[in-house]
Amino acid sequence: MASLIDDAAPAPRLGPARRLGRLARNEALWPGLAGIAVFLAVWQGASMLGLPMLRHVPSPLDVLRQLARVVQGSQYWLSWYVSGRRVLLGYVIGVGLGVPLGLAMGMSRVFHGMGFPVLEVLRPIPPLAWVPLSILFWPTMEQTIVSIIFLGAFFTVVLNVLGGVEAIDVNYRRAAVSMGARPWHLFWKIVLPATAPSIVTGMAVGMGLTWEIVVAAEMIASIQAGLGFMMWQAYVGGNIALIIVSMVSIGLAGLVSSTAIWLLGRRVTPWLRRT
Amino acid sequence: MLARLARRLVAWATSPATGLMLLGFASVLAVWHLTTAVWRLPLFEKITPPLAVFREWFNRAPAFGVSLFTPLYYEHIGYSVYRAYTAFLLAVILGVPIGLVMGWRRTVYRFTFPLLEMLRPIPPLAWVPLAILMLPGIEPPVIYVTFIAAFFATVLNTLLGVLSIDQSYFRAAECLGFSSWHVLRHVVVPGALPFIFTGLQIAMGLSWFALVAGEMIAGRRGLGYMIFDAYNMAQIPTIVMGMLTLGLLGWASSALVRLLGRKLMTWRA
Repeated sequence: MASLIDDAAPAPRLGPARRLGRLARNEALWPGLAGIAVFLAVWQGASMLGLPMLRHVPSPLDVLRQLARVVQGSQYWLSWYVSGRRVLLGYVIGVGLGVPLGLAMGMSRVFHGMGFPVLEVLRPIPPLAWVPLSILFWPTMEQTIVSIIFLGAFFTVVLNVLGGVEAIDVNYRRAAVSMGARPWHLFWKIVLPATAPSIVTGMAVGMGLTWEIVVAAEMIASIQAGLGFMMWQAYVGGNIALIIVSMVSIGLAGLVSSTAIWLLGRRVTPWLRRT
Repeated sequence: MLARLARRLVAWATSPATGLMLLGFASVLAVWHLTTAVWRLPLFEKITPPLAVFREWFNRAPAFGVSLFTPLYYEHIGYSVYRAYTAFLLAVILGVPIGLVMGWRRTVYRFTFPLLEMLRPIPPLAWVPLAILMLPGIEPPVIYVTFIAAFFATVLNTLLGVLSIDQSYFRAAECLGFSSWHVLRHVVVPGALPFIFTGLQIAMGLSWFALVAGEMIAGRRGLGYMIFDAYNMAQIPTIVMGMLTLGLLGWASSALVRLLGRKLMTWRA
């Protein structure tokens, strides 16, 4: 989204000091920081004055203090690691199955005709509604959570990939076929490159969703360890500053993972105009 | 009239797409039936076979107390629909104007966009514990969490919609002496409408997504609660029934938003 702030031409490489200077003079920077500062000030003021809704909510400074305390312990980083591992596992399986399935449904009419209606019926069921059934199905909680994350990533990826294949101009296919292309060529030379941006989009959106799911799944399944579990523990223990620390950590984790996917996607699709 | 309808029905029933669709559903149901009822594979033996689910769903005297013929079923549905639509409407009422102003006025955009981007990555479901502590009662926290999910999608898409409007329209409006109000009414809103409706569709999906989790964690009624309660009591047919009902409601809600969008944007074929 940084793209909405003007960066038209790729800037020449600058030294760190010059780059910092340029950033400080960027007219988009200061108003943005001012907006965030006002938000934090209002929050701080409201919790100091004890306004009705925010009476129980600690001030930003308290949250910061809690964060400083928490990052020194290993428990906090273990939560990151455990949640991250779950997300990664479910996500990789979801993408690994979702991309081929989306491509197959886009390429084959029979596959599409059989698979798409079923997908459309299953997709509106929210991933978290699968939690109880998954708990019954899978022997361990770990597998349950990974399978829920899988579902979230899977449907998003399949739909994006399928949409990408369907958006390909039919003239490309016709041109290729008239020049004697085999299905195999069609796939490698037309479908896959044309769908690459949609695959990247689906992967990035799916990544965002997986972090939402892991938090709720960890809270519902009340499993040991993980960021969602940490938050639930904080809630049960009445440590509200720690709840907010967990919220921010989870947001950060999602942001970092999605950004990583976008950057990776840019590498894979270098021909796209960088917008 | 009737003849045309009949002809259409026959065309639908005999088209290859319908055949493939039925084949698709039949194979899914067959696999479900075979794995759970006939072969009883290791992991699947605990899952209810499709026939048992439908027998419970359409039963006048259901074994676990919830079916198409019990008022309790509609009470759960009513609560879930009420929460999802309240939160969705709140998100639209607040989100669309905020998105419009953010996209329209450069200054507002500069001051608020980074704040939006800072708060947006926090998943709606991570708000659940804080919402329970901050808001009184049972309904407000659940509705709040659902609202958060729908709100950011609405704002962001509305904003993108306004930014996608060709600058020439604004210049033309200015040349013709439009007042701010007229620019808003005749340029900004119609120009952003396609994006707004994309956003509303996403927001509707996210509402149901967040609602279920909210109800599971904090609700005392509603389909999410019904599923979780059924899980605690080991009433597996009710779990599956609840899931399918949620899928149906979610699908119908999205279709409703799509239909509304088509009605409001008659200029797009």
